[in-house]
Amino acid sequence: MIHVRRLRKSYQDLQTGTFTALDGISFDAMPGQIYGLLGPNGAGKTTALRILSTVLKPTSGTAVVNGFDVNKSPEKIRHQIGFVSCNTAIYDRMTAWELVRYFGQLYEMNEDKLQMRMEGIFERFQMNDLRNLLCSKMSTGMMQKVSIARAIVHDPPVLIFDEATSGLDILVAREVLRTIEQLADQGKCIIFSSHIMTEVQRLCDRIAIMSHGKILTEGTIEDIVERYGERDIEELFYQVIRESSKEKRKPSTAGA
Amino acid sequence: MKWSTVKLIFSREMRDQFRDRRTLFTVAIMPLILYPLMGMAMLQVAQFMREHPTDIWIVGGENLPSSPSLIEDGEISRNWVTEKNQKLLRLQGSGEDDAQFFSLIKEFKENPEANTGRTENPGSQLVDRLLEKQMQDRKVDLAIVIPNPIGSPSAIDFNGPQAATSKIFVFHNSAEDKSKIAADRLRVILDRWKHAYVENTLGENSVPPWLIQGIEINGADVADKQGKSAAMWSKILPFVVMVWSLTGAFYPAIDLCAGEKERGTFETLLSSPAKRSEIAIGKLLTVISFSMATALLNMFSMAFTGLFVYSRMTAGIGGMEMGAPPMASLMWLVVALVPISALFSAVALAAAAFARSSKEGQYYLVPLMMISMPLMIIPMLPAAKLDLGTSLIPVSGLMLLLRSLIEGHYAQALQFFAPVCCVTTICCWVAVRWVVYQFNSETVLFRASERFAVSAWVKSIFNQRHDIPSLGNAFLCCIAILVLKFFIGTAAAGIALESFIDLTTITLAVLLAGVLAPSLIMALMLTTNAWKTLKLSLCSIPVACAAAIMAICFHPALMALTSLVMTIYPPIGDMSQVGGMFDTIMGSAPGFWAILLVMAVAPAIIEELAFRGFILSGFERLRNKWQAILLASLFFGMAHSFIQQSIVTAFVGVILGIIAVQTRSIIPCMIYHVTHNSLTLILSMIAPSRVESSPVLQNIIHSPDGNGFEYTTFATVAMAVIACGIMAWFLKLEVQEPAAPAAEIDENIKDVEFTPAESAV
Ligand SMILES: Nc1ncnc2c1ncn2[C@@H]1O[C@H](COP(=O)(O)OP(=O)(O)OP(=O)(O)O)[C@@H](O)[C@H]1O
Ligand SMILES: [Mg+2]
Repeated sequence: MIHVRRLRKSYQDLQTGTFTALDGISFDAMPGQIYGLLGPNGAGKTTALRILSTVLKPTSGTAVVNGFDVNKSPEKIRHQIGFVSCNTAIYDRMTAWELVRYFGQLYEMNEDKLQMRMEGIFERFQMNDLRNLLCSKMSTGMMQKVSIARAIVHDPPVLIFDEATSGLDILVAREVLRTIEQLADQGKCIIFSSHIMTEVQRLCDRIAIMSHGKILTEGTIEDIVERYGERDIEELFYQVIRESSKEKRKPSTAGA
Repeated sequence: MKWSTVKLIFSREMRDQFRDRRTLFTVAIMPLILYPLMGMAMLQVAQFMREHPTDIWIVGGENLPSSPSLIEDGEISRNWVTEKNQKLLRLQGSGEDDAQFFSLIKEFKENPEANTGRTENPGSQLVDRLLEKQMQDRKVDLAIVIPNPIGSPSAIDFNGPQAATSKIFVFHNSAEDKSKIAADRLRVILDRWKHAYVENTLGENSVPPWLIQGIEINGADVADKQGKSAAMWSKILPFVVMVWSLTGAFYPAIDLCAGEKERGTFETLLSSPAKRSEIAIGKLLTVISFSMATALLNMFSMAFTGLFVYSRMTAGIGGMEMGAPPMASLMWLVVALVPISALFSAVALAAAAFARSSKEGQYYLVPLMMISMPLMIIPMLPAAKLDLGTSLIPVSGLMLLLRSLIEGHYAQALQFFAPVCCVTTICCWVAVRWVVYQFNSETVLFRASERFAVSAWVKSIFNQRHDIPSLGNAFLCCIAILVLKFFIGTAAAGIALESFIDLTTITLAVLLAGVLAPSLIMALMLTTNAWKTLKLSLCSIPVACAAAIMAICFHPALMALTSLVMTIYPPIGDMSQVGGMFDTIMGSAPGFWAILLVMAVAPAIIEELAFRGFILSGFERLRNKWQAILLASLFFGMAHSFIQQSIVTAFVGVILGIIAVQTRSIIPCMIYHVTHNSLTLILSMIAPSRVESSPVLQNIIHSPDGNGFEYTTFATVAMAVIACGIMAWFLKLEVQEPAAPAAEIDENIKDVEFTPAESAV
């Protein structure tokens, strides 16, 4: 489970000073649930997910992932999470099998267990014909599969997906989503950012809509639909963003 | 740090690099192919130069004496050349139209009195042009002209009109290499022939030939063959090894950092349990391996190709003797390669970590080379030798040590082994720390890509002004001061210093235009609060007094440091002469107060405004105040022209920086600086009678060699202790004005408290 409290992140820029990418966001994600982060480009989704995966340090505020604080024990958190970043982060000059194995070894899994786990994963994702294929020769969909396999090889209780389905065709995207659903059914806590509203609607238990580093609205999909009286989630998203930008214009508070 | 993780990362990176064709090409294939190819090309060129026949056009061959004969049967006589070379010299006899050249040359070339300045003589130039054209048309490389009959040695009449020296002209075209080589070759032959001719002449006239020999001077090289080849290899090989270990480190470093950033894999690696230091060390080991492999392969490939090529070119080029590189030298190189590679790899990796993309990384190679090149070139200079001074220079010291090891000067090498080892170890350690720091710094790993547009940048400078300068502004100011000081100083160096007025003018010009102007203009234009930027607020009286006392008390220690630096890096040139000139200039000053004003007070005030004012304020944006102080002192030192002066000045800069940061005022810094400068001046000019008459001064300063005063050891130590006490007091001072962003963060952390109850939904 993930608890985020008043998380702030400012980027230091030598030329322009500081830029606040996350402006005190708070939310909670529970095991067995899929939590969706929505927002326009530059809203701060990637920044938030990077902090949860301990790649970045928060400027202030806390996030607790599976009982460990990102500020105090990031090393412990790293054993608890699987992180799939927005670009299919794959080493070109490794085969699928080598890559997944490498990460398994980084997570200090013992050889037998790793072997069994990998056999299982490759079987389930139908990646056996990719085993000895160099990643540079794979299509985006194949790479994304390898990327997910890499993230779940150590069977982490928390999974963080940043735009897991961007650039995939409908068939592969559907397969990826089904995998995510299955992982949730296994009781994993999943947090997930996306630009595709239909998949969010289908998949997520709770969502948060972000813009300019702030969470505009948060809750279960039914709650939010009720709150805004809008059935279609795409319309809803549009309405939320529009309202916030109107509000912003009134007091005319310039961002940092 | 877990070594199993480091090993895992190392082995993955190694495998990754081995699968990369580009890396393999630069590391392995290139050295193995490059040198043999270069060697082959050299052999080919040499072949071409040696085997090519030379065509020679002879005009007036009939004027040559019959004995000793230069030409026999239309060829150069076998007396003067070997058979092989004889075939290569093809002579062309004179044609019908040669008569006109004959007279032209006779007229313009033969009589040196008639046309003194050869090049200014239009007639002579015209002949040159005509000859050039003729030589081209006839496809000859050389033209030999014998304008007048040269008498046979037996038939010389000492009193006749023949008494003047006979002449032979050899015309060549220096614009063509072939012609130049032919001329050199022919001159040797003509010399031999001439010698025989002179000997014959003397013999005929019963003068013993040895008379013109005079005294024969014999030179001999006592170096043994081994030593000679060692001397040459000891210069070439370390350089090759250095350059290639840097180049060999650079490309893998870029791929390992920037490449990984580009592919986005860095993020996933960082979210895995591998610690950042483990990642850094794993990658560093990979880079070191490749750097060493590249250097070794290049070294061996070059050594063997070189040997092979030189053994084929028997004559040797420029009389260079080549032997096999001594085996011991290769061994020493391999040993020295470990720290060199470690140092260069760490530097390359740290630089590469900063790059956002491979392309950006490539741009860092040239600056890196430019910085390290001087360090590699210093040891190649003829005057460079291993001593305490050079052994303390990072890369150069190691190279010089290597040189003395290869040359077999083990005693000398042993003497400076410790300093070189120390410096190299410190450098490696700092570089490795830097790499780990880079990998821990998220501003380095996740740098936003800034699109650079000049207009937007200029606009942002003026629109986004803050009360204190930005880091970039501070760097800009440093560079402006360095450049301006260099140009004004160089321009002023041409002016003869004759009186005190000259000295005043130049000193003030450099200070006002080179130091004060850039910092004042920048403070006014780039910041909104020049007062705060330049730290112009007043300080309390105790602080001012403390600064003055500290300056007095630190002075002996700093003087001791100066003389230490002077012994390690003795000043080049004759200082006594400069000293004499100094005395006459000072003699023309209106009084000691004027000297103090120009040499102590003015520099102190102006330099403080620039370095502790504008520049340090900008550097204080760095989170760590020590970083800011050190950086500002470094530039403060660099702004002084002599290396000896720079080192001591940088130390003074640190003290001044601490005062400035702790008191937030420039006034105590100025007081310290004025006191320090004045004491230095007083010490150099104080009259001996003054010291003898004062019981106190006698205990503090003495004159060990009757040539200028020094502090006594007791005074130095005692006063340094007091100074350190005052420094401690300064360090304890509350910094009055905490940096703004820090306060903001604290506030936010305070009201964040995580309560479990809140999270239960
Ligand atoms: N390293 C960085 N330095 C400075 N600013 C950054 C950095 N990384 C991100 N930003 C800024 O932070 C803001 C949030 O970026 P983030 O990548 O979190 O957005 P996002 O919601 O993931 O957008 P997208 O939907 O396009 O992926 C952006 O305005 C971006 O410009
Ligand atoms: Mg994103």
